[in-house]
Amino acid sequence: MSSKENCRNELRTAIRQLSDRCLHPAAKWAAEQLVGIEQDPAKFTPANTRFQRGSSSIRRRFRTNEIASATPLTPIAGVSYVSTPVMEEDEAVDNDFYLLGKTYFDCREYRRAAHALRDQTAKKSVFLRNYALFLAGEKRKEEESIELTGLGNSESTNCELVTIEIELSTLRKNGTIDPFGLYLYGIVLKEKGNQNLARMVLVESVNCYPWNWSAWSELQALCSTPEILSSLSLSNHWMKDFFLASAYQELKMHNESLAKYEYLQGTFSFSNYVQAQIAQVQYSLREFEQVEVIFEELLRNDPYRVEDMDMYSNVLYAKECFSALSYLAHRVFMTDKYRPESCCIIANYYSLKGQHEKAVTYFKRALKLNKNYLTAWTLMGHEYVEMKNTPAAVDAYRRAVDINPRDYRAWYGLGQAYEVMGMPFYALHYFKKSVFLQANDARLWIAMAQCYETDQLQMLEEAIKCYKRAASCGDKEAIALQQLAKLHRELGRFEEAAFYYKKDLERMEAEEREAQNMVEALSFLAEHCREMKRYEEAEVYCARLMDYGGPEKETAKNILRGIRGDTSLPSMDVDHFRP
Amino acid sequence: MATAAAFGVTPHKVSVCVLLQMYAPPAQAEPLFSVSQHNHLGLYLLALTKSHGDFLEPKLADLLTQLKEISGSLGDWLIEHLTSRLSSLSSPDDLAALFSEFRGILGGTEPAVIEDNQVVLDPNSYLGMFVRRCILAFNLLSFEGVCHLLTNIGNYCKEALSSCLPYELHGLDDSVNDLESSSTYENMDLENIVFQKVTEEMEANKQPSQRNSFHLHTPKALSGLVQDIEILAGSISNRAGKSGETCSSLDTSASGARHADTSGDMFLRTTSQLQGFFMEQADAIEKDGCSFPLNGFEVILNRIKKLAPELHRVHFLHYLTCLYHDDYFGALENLRRFFDYSVGIGGFDITPVPSRSKGFERYETGLLCLGMLQFHFGHPKQALEVLTEAVRVSQQQSNDSCLAYTLATICTLSSEMGSSSTSGMLGTSYSPTATIGTSLYFKQQLFVLLREALKRAESLKLKRLVASNRLAMAKFDLMNVQRPLLSFGPKASMKLRTCPVTVCKELRSCLHLVSEYGSESPTMTIEGAFSTAWLNNLRRPMGASVLSLDNGVGEGSNAFQFCAQPSSIPRSVLQLVGSSYLVRATAWEIYGSASLARVNSLVFATCYLDASSSSDAALVHAKLIQHLATFQGYKDAFSALKVAEQKFLSISRPVILLLKLQLLHERALHRGNLKLALQLCNELGVLASPFNGVDNQLKIEASMRHARTLLAAKQYRQASEVAQSLFCLCYQFNLQVENASVLLLLAEIHKKSGNAVLGLPYALASLSFCQSFNLDLLEASAKVTLAELWLSLGTNHAKRALTLLHGAFPMVLGHGGLELRARARLIEAQCYLCEPNYSAVEDSEIVLDALKQASDEFQVLEYHEMAAEAFYLMAMVYNKLGRLEEREEASDSFKKHILALENPQEEEEEEDEPVSEMLVEKN
Repeated sequence: MSSKENCRNELRTAIRQLSDRCLHPAAKWAAEQLVGIEQDPAKFTPANTRFQRGSSSIRRRFRTNEIASATPLTPIAGVSYVSTPVMEEDEAVDNDFYLLGKTYFDCREYRRAAHALRDQTAKKSVFLRNYALFLAGEKRKEEESIELTGLGNSESTNCELVTIEIELSTLRKNGTIDPFGLYLYGIVLKEKGNQNLARMVLVESVNCYPWNWSAWSELQALCSTPEILSSLSLSNHWMKDFFLASAYQELKMHNESLAKYEYLQGTFSFSNYVQAQIAQVQYSLREFEQVEVIFEELLRNDPYRVEDMDMYSNVLYAKECFSALSYLAHRVFMTDKYRPESCCIIANYYSLKGQHEKAVTYFKRALKLNKNYLTAWTLMGHEYVEMKNTPAAVDAYRRAVDINPRDYRAWYGLGQAYEVMGMPFYALHYFKKSVFLQANDARLWIAMAQCYETDQLQMLEEAIKCYKRAASCGDKEAIALQQLAKLHRELGRFEEAAFYYKKDLERMEAEEREAQNMVEALSFLAEHCREMKRYEEAEVYCARLMDYGGPEKETAKNILRGIRGDTSLPSMDVDHFRP
Repeated sequence: MATAAAFGVTPHKVSVCVLLQMYAPPAQAEPLFSVSQHNHLGLYLLALTKSHGDFLEPKLADLLTQLKEISGSLGDWLIEHLTSRLSSLSSPDDLAALFSEFRGILGGTEPAVIEDNQVVLDPNSYLGMFVRRCILAFNLLSFEGVCHLLTNIGNYCKEALSSCLPYELHGLDDSVNDLESSSTYENMDLENIVFQKVTEEMEANKQPSQRNSFHLHTPKALSGLVQDIEILAGSISNRAGKSGETCSSLDTSASGARHADTSGDMFLRTTSQLQGFFMEQADAIEKDGCSFPLNGFEVILNRIKKLAPELHRVHFLHYLTCLYHDDYFGALENLRRFFDYSVGIGGFDITPVPSRSKGFERYETGLLCLGMLQFHFGHPKQALEVLTEAVRVSQQQSNDSCLAYTLATICTLSSEMGSSSTSGMLGTSYSPTATIGTSLYFKQQLFVLLREALKRAESLKLKRLVASNRLAMAKFDLMNVQRPLLSFGPKASMKLRTCPVTVCKELRSCLHLVSEYGSESPTMTIEGAFSTAWLNNLRRPMGASVLSLDNGVGEGSNAFQFCAQPSSIPRSVLQLVGSSYLVRATAWEIYGSASLARVNSLVFATCYLDASSSSDAALVHAKLIQHLATFQGYKDAFSALKVAEQKFLSISRPVILLLKLQLLHERALHRGNLKLALQLCNELGVLASPFNGVDNQLKIEASMRHARTLLAAKQYRQASEVAQSLFCLCYQFNLQVENASVLLLLAEIHKKSGNAVLGLPYALASLSFCQSFNLDLLEASAKVTLAELWLSLGTNHAKRALTLLHGAFPMVLGHGGLELRARARLIEAQCYLCEPNYSAVEDSEIVLDALKQASDEFQVLEYHEMAAEAFYLMAMVYNKLGRLEEREEASDSFKKHILALENPQEEEEEEDEPVSEMLVEKN
């Protein structure tokens, strides 16, 4: 309990400090976590806890864990916690110029703010000045990148980086830099492409002042491999868990990430952020039902949320919930229509309705707002495939892949596009890439197998291998088993074929599906068993086959007659078997 | 937006416009320079707007330096004017005023109003267009754009001011020269200067190009055809074509470093200039192979990618560099990336492609390139899969030219990779081990395929493809009889011959290509884009790069020179023609005319080395050195090898390395150093790839040498085992030319083991093989062996042996190498000696003469065993004749050689460079 109280106090101070430095996103994040900490039921009225979700047994279990392990996590926080307010007390009364600068800053007049703070030496003012300068540069950069399309120089840079870097590096050398300055220095270094130093500086920053989530997320963006992640020397703080969870997620270590988030949920059980992240992980694990539940709850608590809602729309799309998707689209549209997420949701809606041109328009809008918006590129590729504009689709997928080479969907899309164009061998490369990234996804294996199976390639052995993988990955649509049986039969390996037909049969029985496949399986098995002289088994299959009408019934009868003949039993009336 | 992106106003363009304004001043202003200076300036400006030596626009400082150099005393004035003009721009309105002034440079459409003294730019001339485009681009600019331009000009000037000073000093001593040289051109008009400069430059270029030409290499087998086709295929995707160029490519690593430290504003040149830059780099990469500086170029590519992400050709260049640096994954990724991108939107290079179906045809090209990539990295199975897909897709899209190229590639692939790996694809069953039947069937298929490819190429009028197909056809004719050899024997042999005439015919018609390019160039319509690009190249000024090459020696006139290619023939064509000479050389090698082979190699080495790929260059060196070894002994060959090794640096492994091992092995065998020989031939075998059916030539060579080593070690049984299995291999892959030499080897083994009767059929079989393939030299040596066999059957066969030998003599003495000649002589002498009616006293001269020659040649070869034998016989004859002094001499030599044979190591130690050391250095 004390740790929760600790967290709360730490966060409260941090929010104030972050706001003083106009680090608004980080302050926002911290505030979200602050209210996300579970309230002590003893202190608060039921009104406060009214939206407490049905606390599941899992959460209870984690809560007990948390009490046991939370205490050793905090002491280091105490150390850094002491150092920060000391710095704060230097300027108990804020400088007038600082106040002026901050108001300018809050009105987004960055250059003016920097100018107002020009001769200030207090750490807070120095940081704010540099930060304002940085943001002014960023703003200018954004504007330029729009202005410059057409001048052949489409990559614009932040022209303030050099000045900021010079100042901050001297400050760092003198040892008079504060953690916020380090954070800014880290960003500048990252922008300039000096990744290693940036990582070092950011680690320094978060070790001194762990509550700045922006610093953590910058650091996370610099951890592109698990090796880098494990090489960081981070001091133990509960913020580190947030960082690790998000880093694991980015590195596709989904289970580790989920465990971390669930652990965090013990303390921050009302945090929308943690919930959304869990949804994110579940989405990657393809647990759509769970994702939907989480998002419904999130929307109830935070109806004007736009972040992560594109993922929710994907889930709704996959489940073909027309009305829910349109409702969501309407909602985000009313909240903020110029967000890439909103455009993506609307596009998803149109795509579900089959209006692919409109969907493409909205995806394009989303991409205009953020040209590195990975999902939009991939989804736009899908739309182009639907519109039979394969070259455009290839282009879109390729952009997605170049933005993030670990996006298996885009690789898969590329493969599909080429397969559509009748170039299965060329497509194989892309399928291979996608299964390499997502080795336990049956759909990818099946797609690859089908590619091997095409008339042009006819590489059946490879196809069989792929189907086997698909079957072992839990193929939900049960294509793999059926195809395996079929292929083995075509290749004349009847034992294997029988094995897979039986498996398929079992499966169909378990799922109570009745289909043409059933007839096919039964008739093959009956024939096969007869050939192998396993007459009793054959009779059983024939008997089942008799349930179906059509030509199969006749074959069944014939087989039975044959069996009688083979076994030289006295011939019986076959109609006797009729149920 | 697209057009604006291709041509934006940049500070550099503004300064060019300012200079143009000075070049063509408004009417009232007095022209300040002489005619020659005026012409210089005009040419310089033309060069500036057209050159593609670099991808970034030059900085003001560079521009000022160049101005200084071209216009001497007036340079100061020009610089003064330019800088003051640029630095006077302080508000957006100044810019607007400047651009409206630029409009005055251009003349009107009617030429009536021009005054006497006034220079007016024709609005439709190249420079006029340039100004017009600048003005248009400026007018299209938004206010923000104008502001940007203003700040950029500010930065542009600022950077120059800091570095301006040193050039002031530099310029002074140049000015005198400038004036002198410029006065000679006083009366010439613009055109004359261009042509004068062109010829001068041609001459000036000869020396450096010869100097540079050895700096080439890469591993590749007999022909450079693969690369040729790569180039050809490359030119499908960029119809604008490869521009031939002779100028040394820019030192990319240096320029990469130069640009890396400047972080300020940078502007790419215009797209056409960039395209030229890319072409040139692609050519350089293909020419230099793996010696092309990788890292420096990578830096450049990344910078271009950053500056202009819409230029997808960068990926293609990336692919090329990866390809030649043996980075399989990098090459694969970049190739796919290039085609993924370029299909959707495409870079600038999509325009010349006549779009049939939304640029779908690029996918086939992608497949084709991918196939060649797999081929290059030695994955024939994958390559074939990809290429079949390419065939299918191009058939679906009815893209005939791509189909033709693909077929040609398949032909090359299947002829290089042998039958076992390809038979499955060509319609027969999927049997992993090819039987003889399928291998024959495969050859037939290949022949049909070749014919088909050739026909297609001809009907599509793809000239270079026709030529390369003819080359492939010639190679096929050379190595295979045209009808399957179902039953082989002396009876059928007359019908089943290869025909040297057809080979020569094919090779000659390949040469027509050059004359076609030479004569009908302006009317070439098929690849119109290609020829225009190339015609432009004829006058393509390379001002910038020439200046930088000049090292500032102070020759002001030379500094400003136009560099154009010496001939109008594109480099890829030259390369193709060059490789036809290589094939000729090989053909003559096989047919047994050493001198013609040498002549053809020399023609290649002297005429086509500049244009050829490095692997071809290495190959021709290897051929020449081998020739040297067989005709002049090892000493010369090794010294030549040393030179070649230095010229090809260490990267040029395979061809040169192979040659070195061959020479060393040969010498070790002759000297009797069998341990070393065994080691060497094992090393040779290691060079081959472990996969079945790949690198067959190398494998055959290795086991042939192995058998010979065993034979020399008198391990007859093992030697014959090796030779037998080798024969099986050759037979399996239908390598009949090799078969002949293996059979001869078997005969040799039997002869040495004292089993002459068994050897005879082998020798005869070899002989008939040689006859049906016109392998004259091999035939001669088979006859020599046959003579030896007869002789060893008994003295009563000496007569027959002698006639046989004399029949072979014209060929042996005319074209045979030292060893063969010496052997023939020795046997001749032996025959004489064996003849029962030979009398030592009367006919001694004949015998002695033959022996002397034989011993001389064996000594050159350091072939101790045989030399000893010759001296032994000589001593015996002298003994008979009673010429004691000479006898002693001969016997001394005999002793010397026997001793040397017994202690081969000693000899190695005497060498200035022991073999062991050579081997270490090579590894």
